[in-house]
Amino acid sequence: MNYPIWELTGIDGGSLIALIAVLHVFISHLAVGGGLFLWLTDRKGFRDKNPLIHDYVKKYTWFFLLLTMVFGGVTGVGIWFIIALVSPAATSVLIHNFVFGWAIEWVFFIGEIVALLIYHYKFSSLTRRVRLQIAFFYFLFAWLSLVIIDGIVSFMLTPGTWIATHNFWDGFINPTYFPSLFFRTFMCMMIAGMFGYVTTVFLKESDFRHTMMKYNSKWLLYPLPGLILSGIWYFYSVPAVTRMTAFVQNPQTAFFIFLLLAGTAALFVMGIIGILRTPLPVQRILTVVVILIGLIWMGGFEYTREIARRPWIIDQYMYSTSILKDQIPDINRTGLLHAAKWTDVKTITGENRLRAGKELFNIQCLSCHSLNGFNNNIHDRLAPYSYLGILALLTGQGKILSYMPPFAGTDAEKEALAAYLTTAVMNKKIVSDLPKSPSNLPEEEIPAFDIEKDDYLLLVWNDLGMHCISDSDQWFVILPPANNLEAQLIKRGLVPELVSEKVTLDYEVEPGFENPAAHIDFWKYAESNFGARLKKNIGLFGNGLKGSFKYDSELNSFIAQGIPVAPYKDDGTYNPYPTFTVRAFDAEGKELVRTRVVAPVSTEMGCLNCHEGGWRVDNMSGIDDTTAKNLLDVHDRLNGTDLMKNALDGRPRLCQSCHADPALSAKGRDDVLNLSAAMHGWHANYLPFNDARACTKCHPANTKGNTRCFRGIHDALGLTCTDCHGTMQQHALSLLRNEEAKPAAKGLMSSLDPAPVDTVSEINPRMPWVNEPDCLNCHIGFQKPEPGYTGFNTWNRDFNELYRIRTDDSRTRCEACHSSTHALYPAKNPFSRDRDNIQPLQYIKLPYPIGSNLNCKVCHLEDMEGAEAMHHTNMERMFRNTSAVQ
Amino acid sequence: MDYLSLIPVPDTIPAPATLFLVLDILLFAIHILLINMILGSGLITIFTGMKKGEDNLQDRLHGPAVNKIPTLFAIGINMGIAPLLFIQVIYGHLFYTSSVIMALYWIMVIPFLIIAYYGAYIHSRKYDISRLLSKSALWIMVLMVLYIGFMLVNNNTLMVQPQKWTAYFNNRAGTVLNLEDPSLIPRYLHFVTASVAVGGIFLAFLWDRRQKNNVAGAGQKVKSSLEIFAWASIVQILIGCWFLISLPADIMKKFMGGYLPSTFLLVIAVLSVLGAIFTALKGKLRPVIYMISITLLAMIINRQLLRGFYLEGIFNPDSLKLAPQYGVMTLFFFILIIGLAAVGYMLKISMKKEEGRA
Repeated sequence: MNYPIWELTGIDGGSLIALIAVLHVFISHLAVGGGLFLWLTDRKGFRDKNPLIHDYVKKYTWFFLLLTMVFGGVTGVGIWFIIALVSPAATSVLIHNFVFGWAIEWVFFIGEIVALLIYHYKFSSLTRRVRLQIAFFYFLFAWLSLVIIDGIVSFMLTPGTWIATHNFWDGFINPTYFPSLFFRTFMCMMIAGMFGYVTTVFLKESDFRHTMMKYNSKWLLYPLPGLILSGIWYFYSVPAVTRMTAFVQNPQTAFFIFLLLAGTAALFVMGIIGILRTPLPVQRILTVVVILIGLIWMGGFEYTREIARRPWIIDQYMYSTSILKDQIPDINRTGLLHAAKWTDVKTITGENRLRAGKELFNIQCLSCHSLNGFNNNIHDRLAPYSYLGILALLTGQGKILSYMPPFAGTDAEKEALAAYLTTAVMNKKIVSDLPKSPSNLPEEEIPAFDIEKDDYLLLVWNDLGMHCISDSDQWFVILPPANNLEAQLIKRGLVPELVSEKVTLDYEVEPGFENPAAHIDFWKYAESNFGARLKKNIGLFGNGLKGSFKYDSELNSFIAQGIPVAPYKDDGTYNPYPTFTVRAFDAEGKELVRTRVVAPVSTEMGCLNCHEGGWRVDNMSGIDDTTAKNLLDVHDRLNGTDLMKNALDGRPRLCQSCHADPALSAKGRDDVLNLSAAMHGWHANYLPFNDARACTKCHPANTKGNTRCFRGIHDALGLTCTDCHGTMQQHALSLLRNEEAKPAAKGLMSSLDPAPVDTVSEINPRMPWVNEPDCLNCHIGFQKPEPGYTGFNTWNRDFNELYRIRTDDSRTRCEACHSSTHALYPAKNPFSRDRDNIQPLQYIKLPYPIGSNLNCKVCHLEDMEGAEAMHHTNMERMFRNTSAVQ
Repeated sequence: MDYLSLIPVPDTIPAPATLFLVLDILLFAIHILLINMILGSGLITIFTGMKKGEDNLQDRLHGPAVNKIPTLFAIGINMGIAPLLFIQVIYGHLFYTSSVIMALYWIMVIPFLIIAYYGAYIHSRKYDISRLLSKSALWIMVLMVLYIGFMLVNNNTLMVQPQKWTAYFNNRAGTVLNLEDPSLIPRYLHFVTASVAVGGIFLAFLWDRRQKNNVAGAGQKVKSSLEIFAWASIVQILIGCWFLISLPADIMKKFMGGYLPSTFLLVIAVLSVLGAIFTALKGKLRPVIYMISITLLAMIINRQLLRGFYLEGIFNPDSLKLAPQYGVMTLFFFILIIGLAAVGYMLKISMKKEEGRA
C-alpha cells in the first residue's frame, strides 16, 4: 500500500521468496552444522592419528566453501533482495527494528568468512592447535549468526510483547525464539551429516569409506531425539490461536507438515541404512536420496512455518498484504484506494471500475496469489464462484477462515474488486437477478360451494408455505420431495363440528404431476440418501401422488405426510405450486365435499448465485451438476469430508446424516452443528447483504425469481423476511447460540454482528423449526401491530406453540382459516392470482381468511356475535387490509 | 500525478541518521575498492590477454591477481552487505521503491552474482588446466559484474529521482530502467574506469610484493601496472567531466563553487588523482596508494552529497523519527570490536610460522 507492487503474474511473490529461501536455508544450516562437523571431525583425525580423516576433512572443506560461502552467502543476500521486492513494507519494519541485529550478524559473517578462508587455504600449513582453533572459530561465528537470525525470523511468527512495546529485545527473544534455535541447531547437525555422505562417496578406499558412512549416519541419527523434542516444544510455543488457524483451518498446511514429518522419518531410515555396510552404488544412491529428502524436509519445515504465519507477515501487526492491522478501520471507512500511495485510481466511477479492481487486486491479492501461475493460482480458487460468490468470499475473508486477511476497503471497492476478478480474471459475466416470469396459468376454477345447502367445509393446507426440494439427488440431498397436506373437515351447523370419524379423505395431484420420478432422481438414490428402497413415485412415508389422509388426533386434523410431489410437469413446464384435489367421503363412500389446495414445492434453491453453475431444468430451476459438485468440493475442502468421492461412486449423502434437523427429525452427529445453524452461520459471514436480499439469494422468495414464494398478505403489506426473522446475521446468531456448546459455533459467531441489538447475548437462542417468531409478537391480542414491533427475538417455547400446529379454543387449526405461513390469505400467487386463495373464494367468495368480513355463517349458519371467545378476539369486524390486496 | 505523493512513509530509525550515513560511507569505500579490484583485474586480464601455450602464469601481468579474485569476492560481498543495510535504514523507503520499479533487473543481480562468483573460482582453478574454460569463466565473471554495476547505478539514480517513478504506471512488470537519464552512462563509466585504475594499483601492489621477494621482472610489472592506473585515471578525469556536466545544472553548480564542501572535496579529489597519475608515471607505488585513497574517500563523500542534492525538497534524513535503541547499538559496537579482534587474532595465529605443522 505504501509501496508499488511488482506485477508478478506467473508466480506469486511468496513462492519466489520460498524458492530462494528454501535453497538458502538448507545451505545456511549446512554452514552452521558443517562448522561443528569440520571441527569435531578434524579433531577426531588428530585423536585417531588418521591422515585419511584429514584428507577427508580437506575435501569436505573445499566443497563446503563452494557451497556455503558462495551459494549460501549470495542466496542469503537474495532473500533480502526478494523480500524487499515482494514485501517492501515488512522488510522495512524488519530492517528498522532490527538493524543492529542484522549488523551484529554481519560481524559474525565476517568472522565466518575469514575463518573459513584461513581454514581452507592454510589447511596443510597450520599446526594442530591453530587449525582446530580456527575450525572452532568458524563454527562459533556460524552458529552465532543463527543465534541472531533466529530471533528475527521467529519474531515474524510470534512477535510476543513487541506488539505493545516495540522494544528490540521483546521482539527478538520472543515465544518461539529458543525452541526454534534448538530445533534449527539440531537440523544443522543433521544436514552436516547429509553432506558428509557427499564427500564420503568419492573416497576410493572402501573400508575407510564405510567407516565414514557410519560416522556421517551418526550425525544424521544422534540429533534426531533432540530435533523431535525441540519440535514439540516449538509447536506448543506457537499461540493456540495461530495453531488453530495454521494447522486446523488452513488446508494448505497438511501437505507441508507431511513433508516435514515424513522427511524426518525417511532421514531416520536413511541413517540406519547408512550404518550398514553397503556397496558403493547403494551408498551413492543413498547420498542423492538423502540430499533430496533433506531439501524437501527443510522445505516442509520452512513452508509450514511460513504458512503458519498467515494471514500475517508479522503476527498480529502486519498482514500479508503489507497492511497494518491498525490501519484497517480507517481504510474501511475512507477506502483503500484513497489510503494507498501507488494507485492511479483514487475514486471509483462507472468507467474506471475495472481499473480500480485491478489496483485493489494488486494490493490485496498479488502478494500471495498468482494469476494463472505456479502457486496459489487465483484462477483455480475462484473457478467455483460467480460474481456474487466472489463478492461473498471477499466479504467473509478472514472472518471464519482466518488464514486470509480481511478485505480492507469500502463496499464499493469490494464490488470493484469482485467485478475485476469476475470479468477480467475469470472471464465471466456478472449475472444479476434476471427476472424469471412464472408461467401464466388460466384463472383458477373454484370448486363449488353453496352456502345455503352444503353441509361440510373442507379446509386443507400445506404445513409450510415456503417449501423447497433439492433435486440434486445424485450428489446430495438437503430437502427431499415431501409435502405434508393437512385438513380439517367441518360439519356446518349452529354449533359447527370438527369431523374426525366415519369419514375418509383422499387427495390427488393435478394432471401432469403424477410422475415425479420421470423428472427427479430421488428414487434412484433413495437407498444411499435415506437408506430406504422406495417404489417409484412413493414418498418416504408411503404416500404417493394420490392417496388417503390419516387422522391425527394430536393435531385434530387429517394428514397426508411426505407426498413426493415435484415442480416439474410432464409437459416440460415448471410450476412450484401444483394443486391437489382433496375430497371427503362418508362411510358409505358418498362425497361430502371437495376442494383444492396448493402444495408449494420449489427447486429454486439459489446455490448457483454464488457457487456457479446453472439451473438444472430448462434454465429455470433446480441445482445442476456443476453447482452440486462445487458445493461438495468446498465442503470436502473445508471439513475434510469425502462427499465428492462418495457421490462419484454412486453413494450420495443426505446432509442431515451428519447435521441434525428437526424438519426431517434427523438427530445428526453430536459434534456437528445442526443444519440450519451451520448453513446460516456459515453464510451469514460471507453474504454481502444482511437484509432480505441475503435470504432470497438462497430461499425461493426472490421477487424476480421463478417462485416468489413469499406471497401472503404480509408481502402485500410490505413486510420482508427480516421483520420476523431478524437480519441475516441476527438470524444466524439466534441459531448458533442454541449450539454454543459445539466448538464450530464459536468460530462462526465471532465475526457476526448482532445489530440492531447491542450484544450477542441479547439474542435469544432458538432451535430451528421448533422456536419461531410468533404471530402474537406483533399482533398483540390479535390486534393490528403498532409501528416498531418486530417478530424477531421472541420465540414460541415449544413445538406445539407453533403457528402451524396451534389451534383456537374450538380446536380449529390457525392454518385452516389463514393458510400456511408465507402464504397467508389473501395471497397473491405469481402463476395465477388466486391459486393460493381457492378455499376462501370457494367458501366465502372472498380471498380473505375463512370466516372473515363477518362471514361467520360459513360454518355457523348464522351471523355471530362475540366470536372472539371461541376463535380469537378482533375477528368480529371487516377485513382490514383490502387496499393492500388490491 | 504528483510524484511527491508517491514517496512511501518511512519507518522510525533506531539511532541518529548521521551514524548510519558515516558507517555507510566508510564501509562502502571498502566495498567499492574490493569490487574495483575484482572488475579491474578482470578487465586488465582480458585486455592484456591470457597466457598462451607454455607461458608461465606468473609471468603474465595479471598473474598474481588470478587466485586472489575469489577471496576478494568473498570479502567484497561481505563488505557490501553492511552499507546496503545502513543505507536502507535511512533511504529504505526510496530504495525499495526504485528496486520494485526495476524489480526484474534487480533480482537478476543475485543469480548473476552467483555466476560471477563461481566464474572467479573456475577462472582461477582452471587457469592452467583449460584455457577455454578459464577464459570463458573470466568473460562471464566480468560481464556479470558489469551487469550488476549497471543495475546498481540505475537503482541509485532512480532512487533519488521520484519524479521518474511515475513510469511505473505504464510498466509494472519491474522492467523500468533509468536509461534516459543523461548522467547514467557517464556515472556508470566512471565506476568501470575507476575499476581499471584501481585494478592497476592492485596489480602494482601484488608485483611490488614480489619485487620485495626478488622475483625477476617484478619491478617492470609494477611500472606497467601503474601505467595502466595512470592512463585509466586520465580517461577517468574526462569521464568525470562528462559526468559532472551531465548532472542537472543546479546540482552541477554545487560542485563548481555553488556549495563549498562538495566543491572542496571535488578539488581535493582531482588534485590528489592528478598527483597520483604524476607519481604513478614515475613508478612509485606507495604515494599513489595514499593519494588515491584520498580521492576515493572524497569521491564517496561527494557521492553521498550528490544524493542529498538530488533529494533536496524531497527527503531529508533529519526528518526521520528517532526511536532509539542505544543499548543494542552499544552491543553492536562491542561485538564489532570483539569480532574484529577475533579476526585479527585468527589472522595472527594463522600467519605465524610454527614448527610441527599438522
